[in-house]
Amino acid sequence: MPTASVVRWFCRVYSVLLYAYPRTFRLEYGGEMAQVFRDRCGYVAHRQGRPRLFRFALHTGIDWLSTIFQERVASMFETARGITVAGGCRRAARLARAVWSAGRRQQPYGFVAEWVMTAIVFLFATTTLVQAYVIPTASMEGTLRVGDHMLVDRVAYANPGSFGSHLLPYRDVRRGDIVAFLYPEDVRQTYVKRVVGLPGDCIRLVDKQVIRNGRRLIEPYTQHIDAYMDAYRDDFPTRPEFFTTPRGRAMFEQSVRDGQVTVPPGALFVMGDNRDDSSDSRYWGFVPRGYVVGKPLLVYWSYDAPTADLQAWSVTHAFDVGLHFFSKTRWERTFLVPRSRSAQEDGGNR
Amino acid sequence: MTKPLLPLTPPVFHILLALADEERHGYGIMQDVARQTNDALQLGPGTLYGCLKRMLAAGLVEESDERPDPDLDDERRRYYRMTALGQRTVRAEAQRLADAVSAARTRRLLDHGRPGLAGGRA
Repeated sequence: MPTASVVRWFCRVYSVLLYAYPRTFRLEYGGEMAQVFRDRCGYVAHRQGRPRLFRFALHTGIDWLSTIFQERVASMFETARGITVAGGCRRAARLARAVWSAGRRQQPYGFVAEWVMTAIVFLFATTTLVQAYVIPTASMEGTLRVGDHMLVDRVAYANPGSFGSHLLPYRDVRRGDIVAFLYPEDVRQTYVKRVVGLPGDCIRLVDKQVIRNGRRLIEPYTQHIDAYMDAYRDDFPTRPEFFTTPRGRAMFEQSVRDGQVTVPPGALFVMGDNRDDSSDSRYWGFVPRGYVVGKPLLVYWSYDAPTADLQAWSVTHAFDVGLHFFSKTRWERTFLVPRSRSAQEDGGNR
Repeated sequence: MTKPLLPLTPPVFHILLALADEERHGYGIMQDVARQTNDALQLGPGTLYGCLKRMLAAGLVEESDERPDPDLDDERRRYYRMTALGQRTVRAEAQRLADAVSAARTRRLLDHGRPGLAGGRA
């Protein structure tokens, strides 16, 4: 695509995005904002090249998201006080406003419409860009706790080959990343685990110790709560007769050779950090790459509650939150960022 | 103004700096701020006009009716200029920052040897 048409396309998208701003603000400044955006796009494309143009577009998108919120809150207060802060009040703007609002009822219809628009924008933003999840089980305990409410960045990982992968600063899944994905046995559920194996990696476990491609991993993020050695869980994959699911059986039939499992193309081998109490790839096989939803961004609220209360909404849970919000919220975990950490390979060949 | 204006947020401060020597339109402000800060601060259109709106309301800037060169420029653009209050405010803010910088200098937090970074000593 030639750069000029990319610029034109960006400008068209931006002029649509301007509709998310409150109406008074848009009428007053929208035209100029579009003009400024077009000028700057042209300048960046011409002087600094296409990668910088995409960065500028991304930057403007972030600017857009933060300022629509700001302007909407401001306009709410202005409407409440009945003040119009239309600086300058130029005749042209007034005329445009008169044309725009001709035949429309201003109040309270306008107020409701503004907020419906805001809700739509935020719904869009929160379903395509970030999504909220709660951790109901202890499989990542040590890193993520039961009751951690978190936001998942849905645009962190590109789907290979998609158009967007050239447009945004995507990167691919790496070993040690924490990922959120659709549970392959039941895609209505979302799981969060750590990536241990990428396509082509050979994985096995000896006495709870992961050996990847023949090298022992030192994994500072794991925890073991159980001294007992389970032949299936801790010396994986030596006991195929104990597989638990159809996908687990498929993994044993197709990918296990010489006592280790080889991750096939387009798949990931994931495990929970709480190794002794985690339902993960050892039991139900690989995660298809396309099932990856995103990357945990931050924990916005951590509440000490039992698993059952977090899986389905209940009145007792709502009461519990109401009564114990301050004492049961784990304040120290608020805004915690779950880090990707890569394991070291100590080089010990086994 | 009932609310104290200082300290200014970085976008507001740099917009005032951009308007210190001449009237500019929105894009001119954006370009000048990028130049001033070596692209470290790039104002998005939303931030730029959000700030201008608040600055107009606070009386720091005003719209100018004159066009510096009507032949060269797009008639639709609005030009902004700094008011006397804006000038006093940006001076006070610059002084506040200068005081902070000299405090940092007395504690040897700034590198004197590199004029490009520290501004050097006369």
